[in-house]
Amino acid sequence: MRLKKLFLLDMRFQAKYGFYFLYAVLTLIYIIVLFVLPENWKERAVAILIFSDPASMGLFFMGAIVLLEKSQHTTCALAVSPVHATEYVIAKVGSLSAISIVVAAILALAADTDNLHIVLFGTFISSVIFTLFGIIAATKIASLNQFILWTVPIEAVCFVPAILHLFKIIPAWCGYYPVNVCMDLVSGNFSSAIGFLGVAAMTVILFVLSRFCVLKMWDSMGGVKL
Amino acid sequence: MITVENLSFSYTKNPFISGMSFSVSEGEIFGFLGPSGAGKSTLQKILIGMLRTYQGSCLVYGIECKNRTKNFYENIGVDFEFSTMYEKLTARENLRFFSSLYEKKPRPVDELLEMVGLGQDADKRVADYSKGMKSRLNFIKALLHDPVLLCLDEPTSGLDPANSRVMKNMILEEKAKGKTILLTTHNMQDAAELCDRVAFIVNGKICALDSPHNLIMSKGAAAVTYTWVGNGEHSASCPLEQISSDERLKSLIAENRLQSIHSSEPTLNDIFMDITGRTLL
Repeated sequence: MRLKKLFLLDMRFQAKYGFYFLYAVLTLIYIIVLFVLPENWKERAVAILIFSDPASMGLFFMGAIVLLEKSQHTTCALAVSPVHATEYVIAKVGSLSAISIVVAAILALAADTDNLHIVLFGTFISSVIFTLFGIIAATKIASLNQFILWTVPIEAVCFVPAILHLFKIIPAWCGYYPVNVCMDLVSGNFSSAIGFLGVAAMTVILFVLSRFCVLKMWDSMGGVKL
Repeated sequence: MITVENLSFSYTKNPFISGMSFSVSEGEIFGFLGPSGAGKSTLQKILIGMLRTYQGSCLVYGIECKNRTKNFYENIGVDFEFSTMYEKLTARENLRFFSSLYEKKPRPVDELLEMVGLGQDADKRVADYSKGMKSRLNFIKALLHDPVLLCLDEPTSGLDPANSRVMKNMILEEKAKGKTILLTTHNMQDAAELCDRVAFIVNGKICALDSPHNLIMSKGAAAVTYTWVGNGEHSASCPLEQISSDERLKSLIAENRLQSIHSSEPTLNDIFMDITGRTLL
């Protein structure tokens, strides 16, 4: 099955480039941080840690992954293969979500978080959203500097409201904002069905957009900026 | 198999390829020859469905290239001019991965690696390969799914004569199996040796299209040059078709006074320069 092969290749690619080693080290550091924090800080600290790192790693790593693929011209090879953009996107999202969930599970267990299943579901859905954002940005760039510039506005609209929402600094109705719903889930709280519908809608829109961006990237391998 | 009619394409507002028409039959090796920047690779990218904003018609197996779906690539093998491998994976891992993307049963990876002399290096990371090794690996990647159409872009570039020979033999073997092969090159020797027909492309236009033999013969017959000694060394030449009427040559043969004799014919490169007024580099 092609999707499975793409998924396994992406995992192998990430392992070969040291992503897993890096996350093993980071997880260890995060666990130490969680252990030294006062008990009453842990709940929010673990939510922030999970949301800002394993859940959003796709946003940051996708730039490196796609740039490496472009530099090795493997995007050209995939562009002239039967691989569909949908498969390409799902494999990338799946492989990065898998590592996100593992790291989040370790952190949540270390902090003795309640509702582990909601935390992991929240991590998964956040990881999907951030990875899709990452794909959209990464397909348009030719250098890491460009990628960093692309991610700044994404970070602004995703991280700032989520942190403010976690500390209840912004009004309660902002809880329906999809990224804030994700933050609730990562904190182990299921906010509302309406909020969750917003997350689902956002995921579908980002998926369609990222698929479109991958197709454009493959077309641009032919040398034309469409 | 391939029918191109009135094809035009542009990267900018100025036309890059204009008014091209030709067809390629099944089982034919068709060469695109021309200097760098002439439009050869662009034409090949159009034919493999990578550039889809062209005007005119470009049918491959009855499919208009701009309307192709991803299934189009089940029957096409593309060998780019550059390596398209995952550098941190081994050659075997790369080939196994790429072969798994196709529905067809793949050709045995180890057998292909042996054919191009990479059997011993199958478990080496591609990053550690030389340019020539990457070129050979790229070539067999195009053969993995046993495609009916092979598109090869400078397949012998960066290869030593021995490996170049191996590669050319493999191309001829694929032709013998009935594959259609599009060869983009500026190596005239390769083209003359491999191609059934060649198209000379300059400035996005086809200047000439025929078999290498016909192109060579159309621009003057071969000549015979001979040397002899008599009050110093002398040489003379005459057209091959007039050799029987060259009295001097006949008498030199009769008197066994010839020092050397050889025939020479214009090369494809000479013909290219003659027709286009350009060199290939």
